[in-house]
Amino acid sequence: MRNFSIGWFLALTALALPLGSLAQAPAPPDHAKSQAAAGVPDFSGVWFVREYSRSILPKEDPPFRPETEKLFQQRIYDNSHHDPDKSVDSTERCIPPGVPRTMLQPFPWEVVQAPDRIVIIYEYQAIPRQIFMDGRGHPGDLEPTYMGHSIGKFEGDTLIIDTVGLNDKTWLDPMGLPHSDAMHVIERLRRVDHDTLVDDVTIDDPKAYTKSWTAQVTFKLHPDWQIQEYVCAENNRNK
Amino acid sequence: MKRGLFIVFALFLSAFVVSRPLFAHHSSASYDQEHPITLKGAVTSFEWTNPHVFIYLDVKNDDGSVEPWRIEGNSPNMLSRAGWKKEMLSVGDHVTVSGSPAKNKTKVMRLVSIIMANGQKFDGQGFK
Repeated sequence: MRNFSIGWFLALTALALPLGSLAQAPAPPDHAKSQAAAGVPDFSGVWFVREYSRSILPKEDPPFRPETEKLFQQRIYDNSHHDPDKSVDSTERCIPPGVPRTMLQPFPWEVVQAPDRIVIIYEYQAIPRQIFMDGRGHPGDLEPTYMGHSIGKFEGDTLIIDTVGLNDKTWLDPMGLPHSDAMHVIERLRRVDHDTLVDDVTIDDPKAYTKSWTAQVTFKLHPDWQIQEYVCAENNRNK
Repeated sequence: MKRGLFIVFALFLSAFVVSRPLFAHHSSASYDQEHPITLKGAVTSFEWTNPHVFIYLDVKNDDGSVEPWRIEGNSPNMLSRAGWKKEMLSVGDHVTVSGSPAKNKTKVMRLVSIIMANGQKFDGQGFK
């Protein structure tokens, strides 16, 4: 009798769950339907960091190499002891924030999704980022750049973005967390509900850290927003 | 015995130093977020520009002297999403601003919120 009751309970729950989900889920936009038809999730839309923080760090410090920690502490000190118009953070002088910091800035970004690539348009500094989804690898002779070279693939409901070819001129976050030009960034984005995107960012940088480490950032969908013009150099007071 | 106690105390201290999150505070660079201030003043200029908007205020002190302040808000993009308009401030408007003063004691503030002459309140970063 007990087994019978549990069996019925499970069967009824299994039937009820999809109905409940359908009743609560908002209707997906048309592009979501087309992407779903293609068999991959659709992340199209304007996203904005759920809670802005100047630090990307999880609860614990990352596994610094000694020289990395020393550099970080120096940047924290410099960050707090300068004239407001003489920031040591190069983004204040319109230098790109790089990957992954560009995702964390307090400005929205839009995902535009095509079969062979995903383009992210960052409002902050008006930067487009291409993520190649056509199965290509990274070129072997990459010259380091601010945004690097990104390739992506879907694994189930997760978009995995793999980025290399990054220079060492950027910070990982506004606090000044360092990285080297050997950094390899792996972002795992998944939609935990219609309006929420979770990004697990793994930093693999053997020159700066003794082992790879992962931080998590959450973004909210803003269907009523659109990306606007942003001209960093217009009236910039930083010298 | 005293030496033993000292060693226990030293071990306790070292454990604390090693295990604490080194960078738990997320203070904002050159602005003192931990000691916010509120100012009342008359607008002398309003720059609706990228990357940040600037409000210039004449703030009257208790002794009657007037100090010019520069109030820095977020970009027009973010502020317009929070209801700001380019025309919302005019020279001579009396406003109340709250925010973080510069750590170097110059008369510069990073805006958190503003109350307009008509009592309307707006977020200074456009996050709300």
